[in-house]
Amino acid sequence: MKKRTKYIAAAAGAVVIATLAAPSALAQPVDTARIEAGGPNDWLTYHGSYKSYNYSSLDQINSNNVSDLSVAWIHIPGRSTRGLQSMPLAADGVLYYTGSYSRTFALNGATGEVIWSYFPELDEALISRQTHSPYNRGVAIGEGKVFVGTMDGRLIALDMKTGKPVWDTKLIDSQKLTVGFTGAPLYAKGIVIIGAQGGEWPGRGPIFGVDAATGTKKWEFLTVAGTDEAMKTWGADSWRTGGGGGWMPGTYDSETGTIWWGTANPAPLYDWSGSDYKTQGARPGDNLYTSSVIGLDIDTGKLKFYHQELPHDTWDFDSAVGEFVMLDRDGQKLVVHPNKSGYIFVYDRSANLKNVWRITQNSNFVRDIDPKTGELIGRRDFSAGKVDEPLCPHISGGVSFNSGSYNPKTGLYYKLGQEWCMTLTVQKTTPITAPQAQLNLGADFKIAPPPGGEIYGHLDARDPVTGAKKWEVRFPEPPLASVLSTGGNLVFVPDSRGVVHAYNAETGAELWSHSDGTGHQGGIISYSANGKQYIAVVAGFGGMATDDYAPTFGGVYKSMPRDDGALVVYSLK
Amino acid sequence: MGSIALWRRLYVPALASMGALAAPVGAGIPAAAQQAAATTNDSTFDPAQLFASTCGFCHSNGGRSAGKAPQLMNTARSDEFIINRIKNGKEGRMPAFGQAFTDAQIAAIIKYIRSLKPE
Repeated sequence: MKKRTKYIAAAAGAVVIATLAAPSALAQPVDTARIEAGGPNDWLTYHGSYKSYNYSSLDQINSNNVSDLSVAWIHIPGRSTRGLQSMPLAADGVLYYTGSYSRTFALNGATGEVIWSYFPELDEALISRQTHSPYNRGVAIGEGKVFVGTMDGRLIALDMKTGKPVWDTKLIDSQKLTVGFTGAPLYAKGIVIIGAQGGEWPGRGPIFGVDAATGTKKWEFLTVAGTDEAMKTWGADSWRTGGGGGWMPGTYDSETGTIWWGTANPAPLYDWSGSDYKTQGARPGDNLYTSSVIGLDIDTGKLKFYHQELPHDTWDFDSAVGEFVMLDRDGQKLVVHPNKSGYIFVYDRSANLKNVWRITQNSNFVRDIDPKTGELIGRRDFSAGKVDEPLCPHISGGVSFNSGSYNPKTGLYYKLGQEWCMTLTVQKTTPITAPQAQLNLGADFKIAPPPGGEIYGHLDARDPVTGAKKWEVRFPEPPLASVLSTGGNLVFVPDSRGVVHAYNAETGAELWSHSDGTGHQGGIISYSANGKQYIAVVAGFGGMATDDYAPTFGGVYKSMPRDDGALVVYSLK
Repeated sequence: MGSIALWRRLYVPALASMGALAAPVGAGIPAAAQQAAATTNDSTFDPAQLFASTCGFCHSNGGRSAGKAPQLMNTARSDEFIINRIKNGKEGRMPAFGQAFTDAQIAAIIKYIRSLKPE
């Protein structure tokens, strides 16, 4: 009954807001119940709601009138080093988003007017030493605050109305470990959850739970050897080279009080163990809990369950990427999670495996993954030296860190796949336990086309559980940005050349396109302000995956800036 | 070999060099380089390994090919330019490694770059 009252109050608030010039004047607080409900006018958490559909039920803009879509307003955040990569949020007609260096903005969703901005003072000398930096993937909101992470290891809460700092908590000794936070936090049940970078760096890849009211750290979970059981899976004390981390946001299952999070790969990326990886090589064993999905108790941070998608990952195919799509299908509660390799895992709500399917055409790091047991069949474990057959997919993955979209009206999951490979020579290197030179790769490598073909990307419309494909649209270069589907029977894809495409969600027919003038590699959302629907997308290229585009594809990428960006917002004319 | 002994053999040299990294951020590059020189064994420094662990993420194929960053083999850039770029980096393009390497190690990196040949 209590929960229902909250929903009613939120709905009443939205009606009032629609008549006001100042969108957030009488807004209801953003809380767990409201994020769970995922009201149609808002986008309250990274993936839209805890269901992680990256979907808006708004249908003012639809397949019949999308040809009338045009730019409503633009916002330039400035200092967009390595482009823009964040997912905007929207609450009660106000849009919140971040640029590089964790620059944070609150904008009037109808006009683009800046309500407030906040530029944290950062340790710039540290940032100049970082490799995966200084981009930021977005904020969380809740309890009247906006939460943003920084590359120098802090989590900051800002007053949602004024942008003034409420608390500023240092969580990682980034000066020692080099890594910090680039991923968006997640707010749920009074806790802000954020995961550190990891992967190629030495460290134990912590995920933190922080009290939203006070900024006090409540718990910390180490994705590298975080339990006694896990410690046994790092032979020769290789947990000290570590890796892991959880650099993208997960989600919250309110029925069980569980945080779902994906973890990154172990270091070095490429091992020279040969087939006996359990006892040989740089990090003998399965290396728990890297390249895994984990379930943590939201109150304590204790591990409740896990599934290691890639035991002893030696290809840099994180589980940190990928949304957790919460489905109810035929009486079963399921979770769909794409791994960076391009394999899509389907679980029950305790991470018991239900199915595995693949979105990529070109994949040979394993021959297959058993859909019942999750066993990696015919895995390629390298020895030191040149690898004869190119490895597919490329290190940038079969899917990017950005999100696909599930549309409950069509029942289809819209997800981008990437077809590219790499040549590599695995090198036995000295274990790196301190981040003096930052990374720990274990190979020389170079991007390469798939055997017998060209590099390309594709938008697939598939059944999220079985993987059955309904339609596909191809792109000459892999799009890397997030996908949005809407109640207006539309799917939006911001591509790498800088064009936003709208497709008919049922058929895949292209209905509209518009150039934003530079490549996309971040989020796209829909929201309503003053009763009008908007589509907001971040444009701005640059970063670890996109930096390969100019030398690989030439063309428009040769002149495309990697230090620029804009938030572009569309509405009907 | 026991795991503790193995750990010592593998990791103690790396931990010893950690002191250079733990230098206060913002310390001048020459001072940091001097500190690194005092704690790192330049004679065992292997630039080829360095490319396979760090530089190769962007300078593809051990520096032989253009990737996220330029091809280094046959570069027309001067030693002075490369030294400056390694030490100070370039915002958004290359991290600053001034606190990580001694002058002697940077000289070894340049020697490696100048010796690169197609595979």
